[in-house]
Amino acid sequence: MSTFFIRITVFVLAVFLLVPAMSNAASPAKGEPIIIGMPSSLKSLEASEALKAIKLAAEEINAKGGVKVGNAVRLLKVEEMETRDMEPGVPISDALLAIEKLFLEKKPHAVVLGPSRSEVLLAAMDLYAQYKMVSINVAMTPKFIEKYTQNPEKYKYCFRMGDARYVVGYLTKVMEKLKQDFGFTKVYIVVQDVLWSTAIGDGMKGWFEKNKWEVKGYDKYPTGASDFSSTMMKAKQSGAQVIVPIFDMHNSGILVQQWKEMKVPAIMAGFISPLMGSKAWTTFGDKIEGIINVVFQAGNIPLKKYEPSTKFYEAYKKRWGEQQSGHMPSEAYDSVYLLVQAIERAGSLDPDKLVKELEKTDFVGSIGRIKFKDHQFIFGDDPKTSAIAVAYQWKKGGRRVPVFPNSIAEERIDKPSSMK
Amino acid sequence: MLVYGFINGTIYALIALGFSITFGVSRVANFAHGGLYILGGALTWYSLVKLGLPYFLSAILAVVAVGFLGALIYRVLLIRLRGLELSEVITTFAVGIVILELLRSMGLMGYEYRLPLFVEGSVDIFGVPVGIQRIIIVVVGAALLLALYLFVHHTKVGLAFRGVAQEEHTALSVGINPDRVSLLSLSIGSMICVISAVFILPLGTISVDDGYDVLIKALAVCIIGGLESTIGVIAASFIIGYIEVLTATYISSSYTMVVALASMLFILLVKPSGLFGKSKEIEERV
Repeated sequence: MSTFFIRITVFVLAVFLLVPAMSNAASPAKGEPIIIGMPSSLKSLEASEALKAIKLAAEEINAKGGVKVGNAVRLLKVEEMETRDMEPGVPISDALLAIEKLFLEKKPHAVVLGPSRSEVLLAAMDLYAQYKMVSINVAMTPKFIEKYTQNPEKYKYCFRMGDARYVVGYLTKVMEKLKQDFGFTKVYIVVQDVLWSTAIGDGMKGWFEKNKWEVKGYDKYPTGASDFSSTMMKAKQSGAQVIVPIFDMHNSGILVQQWKEMKVPAIMAGFISPLMGSKAWTTFGDKIEGIINVVFQAGNIPLKKYEPSTKFYEAYKKRWGEQQSGHMPSEAYDSVYLLVQAIERAGSLDPDKLVKELEKTDFVGSIGRIKFKDHQFIFGDDPKTSAIAVAYQWKKGGRRVPVFPNSIAEERIDKPSSMK
Repeated sequence: MLVYGFINGTIYALIALGFSITFGVSRVANFAHGGLYILGGALTWYSLVKLGLPYFLSAILAVVAVGFLGALIYRVLLIRLRGLELSEVITTFAVGIVILELLRSMGLMGYEYRLPLFVEGSVDIFGVPVGIQRIIIVVVGAALLLALYLFVHHTKVGLAFRGVAQEEHTALSVGINPDRVSLLSLSIGSMICVISAVFILPLGTISVDDGYDVLIKALAVCIIGGLESTIGVIAASFIIGYIEVLTATYISSSYTMVVALASMLFILLVKPSGLFGKSKEIEERV
């Protein structure tokens, strides 16, 4: 009996020891994971949703077996670090310390998303250079290109998927469309008094003046402002037909409320964060009907005419619930995929080899076709050839309807009720 | 301009009133004011949206809960620090940060947290369209001031408040317990703070960052008007309200907050007690 028991025990042990070994032999060996670092202001809505998008991409890639690096197959692991750079009063040096802590403690192989605040990204570029850290960033400052082109060899590890200049370009095309469709030529600009939005506001003002629009006013509000009545009154009195708001502060919802309450006969077309997500209609109701908002990258809104954007949007929704931000999640998601493709092409995690492969990127992502020029992604009007933004209009029943660019537009722009 | 300056002034007065009442009676500068304001809004939102309770009941529950928390802050923390002004400030500031950051980590971020307007629509006042919610705020502000006046002048507890505010030791000699009165003042100050939140927050969305702004605004108003003076608070609120609108209309909207804070610095330089404050008046004369 005891011999039988010993034989059974040996058999069971052998099974337990052999089966995992056989299964390992059947699939390629998994080495140490590839660490993707994500230093950002995680308590902001945009970065927290971008982190979820990055995790989603990593989960999808891992589920398909991982990343092929030479002869080995390795899984992805995401390591985030809170930089608090979007919180008021946090010094740039504190955010940089957090980024360096991520490098030293978690030893990432590459960084995606990066800090949200433009000033922090500009300062972090030197840190990326020092640590030879490949990074795909999203902060919007036009100064990224200036800094990169001053010393491309030093800053070659930095790539970027976003730029306030492209938003200006997009908004100007929306304005052209408004002029063409309705004959509007009088505009009032109102922006949040921070670097990225004043850059857009200044750019828009210059464009309007060059293109013979009448700029009836240009107001800047500090972050936290909660009364926009003076702007609304001035816009109304000046006969402005278009109001261009550029805001990412939560109080900008008040601006919209006052626009409606004060019955300002002008269409509002710009960028207002609180109105971006699908839940904005539940929050603000029909007060936002007629407003045109620009989503900085496709994918953060589903497009019937561009399937990859809808695919990402639906995958995110299934995994995490509906996203509410107008920029960051889709580009963060695509960043992981194009980084992985670059690693597989390079067959290595060596930063210099990775940079060379990233420069050759040609990837069909949720934001459109992604290619880099001067380490900055190329932007355009057609997702089949470049990355795109999307201007959509809030319409009856809480529908977000893409109205520009024409390649993905689903309906025409309607005048708001205050102008009918 | 006149209309919106008045409305903004009332909003400032509502925001600062709770802070001023607490300081006026107990001499505690409650730096948790902003935290309590947002907590009140968040509790109302939670009861209304998540628990499905009626708006009025949700607001009442939030007012009572935060009032209780205010009393608890005094009973557990501040009672041990009475008279140590710097310690009181640090402690209440820490409590405010804990409340705000806890709310943030519990998921209070994004744009979907909004209290509905009491009444939709707008009416014309002197030819200026004004949202009805803003008119309600003005009415509530006036009603609250009247209620407070009646409370401190015609109720036993209110008279005890005035007694402690004027001279704590003398009040003690006539049988008023200063600790109990201070506890009540912190509780009532917190309740007023939530009442203002319930009426003001429907204008925008509920955000943790607003908690810090509210504290700064309350401080600016109280320092300009005089920390313990209700009349001063009202006067300062309208001064700041009109300065903001005038600045936005004739100078630049980007300077609205700078002008308010610069006014505070100016008053601190020329009259540290504030326009109607008396706490340092004798020292100033000397």
